Amino acid sequence: MIAQRAGTTALRRVAGKPNSFFTANVAKLGLAQPLSTTQTRPVATQKITAADAQALLAKQRLNRPVSPHLAIYDKQQTWFGGSAWQRITGSALSGGLYVFATAYLVAPLAGWHLESASLAAAFGALPLAAKGALKFLAAWPFAYHAVNGVRHLAFDLGYGFKRQTIVKTGWYIWGVSVVGGLYLAFFL
Amino acid sequence: MMASIARSSLLRQVALVPKLPIATRLASQQSAIVNAARVATFHTTARRDLLPPLPQRVEGTVNDAAPVPETSPSHGSYHWTFDRLVAASLIPLTVAPFAAGSLNPTLDALLCATILIHSHTGFQNIIIDYVPKYRTPRARKLFVWGLNAATVVVGLALYEFETTDVGVTETIKRIWTA
Repeated sequence: MIAQRAGTTALRRVAGKPNSFFTANVAKLGLAQPLSTTQTRPVATQKITAADAQALLAKQRLNRPVSPHLAIYDKQQTWFGGSAWQRITGSALSGGLYVFATAYLVAPLAGWHLESASLAAAFGALPLAAKGALKFLAAWPFAYHAVNGVRHLAFDLGYGFKRQTIVKTGWYIWGVSVVGGLYLAFFL
Repeated sequence: MMASIARSSLLRQVALVPKLPIATRLASQQSAIVNAARVATFHTTARRDLLPPLPQRVEGTVNDAAPVPETSPSHGSYHWTFDRLVAASLIPLTVAPFAAGSLNPTLDALLCATILIHSHTGFQNIIIDYVPKYRTPRARKLFVWGLNAATVVVGLALYEFETTDVGVTETIKRIWTA
């Protein structure tokens, strides 16, 4: 179909701007009479309601690329960004609290033992490595959220907005939180 | 029945491929590759559907400007300041048990209440960011009320825990040193 249309277009162009070769050979080619300059398209339009048009538009918009894309930014900003990890660590800690508290409330109905004494006893019975790993799993997000939270409060007061400062403190937060998490997990 | 469960979808797809002569299949693969290359020249980045767009609808006509939401300090600056005050008040409440060894019941209850408010507003912010009202109004309502219910449940549980057990900081201490 496209090839057909391209052919027609070429012929129309030639007909509009005749060159010497073409005009000399028109008779030979047998094209003088039947050459049509109206373009035909093998498609048909149809009327649709305004609501359908809007629905179609909304559907078309879903095909647009999503922007901004995560991969186009500097790695530090996207994958080690303080604000993203503030949210991740915060929702991990709060999510843990919400899950534990709900479990504590239904514990008597379900027959679980989640009071402090049995929790401490169960934790104490674990091997040393497991204890340390579990403590670090709780201590690191806590340390990160606490230290980075202070950084964000400083941002909110208007401090530390120099580009270099943001980048530098962003890395400090990671170092401090890992060291702090290890300290809380293994030396406290 | 059994056969359809046992067979993987990939195998089924292979089975569905029409039996074409190898030469034809190769030619069609070749043309697919050429077409892909032709299309790829117009794309500078690969398309990855990491975060597919949420359902959308067009309000009014396409030429209407985006509506500006009504300003409200209680949803804006007051709320923002309140959030920051709650977060800042958590600093001394968090440092105190490390300095003093533990917290007295009143301060422990205060810590729990502040953490609960901080968590609630934090989760609210997450819902507001990722479940937009204009795209997924029903999911938004579900998440907001689900969070409200969860916070009430957690508040009740923390009250129970504070009044019948040894308190949150003391519990963490006992588990930590167990």
